[in-house]
Amino acid sequence: MTTPPRRRPLLTLRAPIARRSAVALGVACWLLFFAIWQFAVSAGLVTELLLPSPFKVLSTLVALLSTPDFWIDIGASVLRILVSFALASVIAVPLGIVMGSFRALEAFFNPFMAAWRYLPAPSFIPVLLMWFGTGEGPKIALLFVGVVFFLIVLVMDYTKQVRPEFIETSMTLGGTRGQILRTVIVPAVLPNVVVAMRQMLAVSWTYLVIAEIVASTNGIGAMMMRARRFLHTDEIMAGIVVIGVLGLLCDMLFRIAHRLLFPYIDESAR
Amino acid sequence: MRLKLERIGKTFPGPKGGTVEAIRDVSFEVGGNEVCVLLGPSGCGKSTILRMVAGLDRPSSGTITLDGRVIDGPGRDRGMVFQAYTSFDWLTVRQNVEYGLRLRGVAASERRDRAAHFIDLVHLTKFADSYPKVLSGGMKQRVAIARTLANDPEILLMDEPFGALDAETRWHMQELSIAIAEETGKTILMVTHDIEESIFMADRIIFLSRHPGTVAANIVPAFKQGRRWSRKEDVLELPGYAELERDIMRLMRQQAGAETEAA
Repeated sequence: MTTPPRRRPLLTLRAPIARRSAVALGVACWLLFFAIWQFAVSAGLVTELLLPSPFKVLSTLVALLSTPDFWIDIGASVLRILVSFALASVIAVPLGIVMGSFRALEAFFNPFMAAWRYLPAPSFIPVLLMWFGTGEGPKIALLFVGVVFFLIVLVMDYTKQVRPEFIETSMTLGGTRGQILRTVIVPAVLPNVVVAMRQMLAVSWTYLVIAEIVASTNGIGAMMMRARRFLHTDEIMAGIVVIGVLGLLCDMLFRIAHRLLFPYIDESAR
Repeated sequence: MRLKLERIGKTFPGPKGGTVEAIRDVSFEVGGNEVCVLLGPSGCGKSTILRMVAGLDRPSSGTITLDGRVIDGPGRDRGMVFQAYTSFDWLTVRQNVEYGLRLRGVAASERRDRAAHFIDLVHLTKFADSYPKVLSGGMKQRVAIARTLANDPEILLMDEPFGALDAETRWHMQELSIAIAEETGKTILMVTHDIEESIFMADRIIFLSRHPGTVAANIVPAFKQGRRWSRKEDVLELPGYAELERDIMRLMRQQAGAETEAA
């Protein structure tokens, strides 16, 4: 005779929970959030002008999505992210890899990079506006400055983590410096480069909104500032939702790309 | 093929600015087709010696020569198998084994043939197109051995190659390595701290003492009657096995004893 498995209390230390329970708990938290929000509006605890109900925000979002102007704003924002992030990656990935591979290059660049990292990127906005005017220039530049120094360090650190035995194995098989860089270090670090890019893309979105709020006539951030002028709180919040969804989408795309690009990675070993 | 170590010493920078002498005055030779085992207690510097032969570390004094040429860096004439798994996880088993050949631009068809031969030698033909993530620890070490052999080194260096494996896999790997040594005629210089492994594998055991590491004994397991045995249990039952194992254990204990007295 087998005894039926005893039900474990929900809060058992470190014990795994069923996937269904995990999803249910995640959804429950969101529902609770919306319920409190709706309650606060219905009960008159907040002015609807300052905090519209979740349903109002949703209907505004649907309405906005059917206007071409909103799509132009979204397109402008996404384009800025793409261009600036591509520029930052093209510089940061190769530089990070060689800095992580050669101590001399690390010693040369790192003190310089470290100083720039500690300067908040938005502090460059006034001077970027003076240099690049009010077009796309200052926005792309801000996003670039905000991302590139951190991405370099992340890639460098991941490169340093490439297992020394891999490099020594190639050496004893006759690998030259260039061959080891190309056939061991680059392929070994590539999955983590994609992880680093995913991490920095989230930061990129933060700077995008700052750039668009401060000095832009289009883009999601600018749309939100326009809405503020007319006290359209619902549109501002719809903008926030769109930014959140786009960020989440980017993250998902990177995760999927990671899985497709690196099928050989042993997920259980992580 | 003749590997020659002459009065090798190695010091490391120690704490408080001084130096620590890891290895002192180590001299020995390894000849063609020999399976030579470096055995000793942990901390005797046996891995450091192997790394210096590989060219991955430099001796502080003395010279290492292979067929008269002084070793001053890594080279494909000395292939190395590490204790840690080194199968490149982004390459299939076949691509791993072909790796060294690709580095020096061997034509694709020849590469494929050579790789197939050595993959077969380590019984991994069924896994030739698999990625290392599906392989067990023993299989990963077999990939490393095949990859090193496919590169046709003069000497195969093995640094505790089976140290991370479970006991059963370990003796299978020991027997496989002996079979490979017989089949290919390769010279092997191997580091281990496992006495049983050293007696089964070695044509000659170089026993090292520690602090600093130096050659304490040069042991030829004469009871094996000058031949290699393919099955481990056959060696275990030979007269003379137990005596040699006992003698080496005493050597090990002396080392430990010297350590305790010194401390």
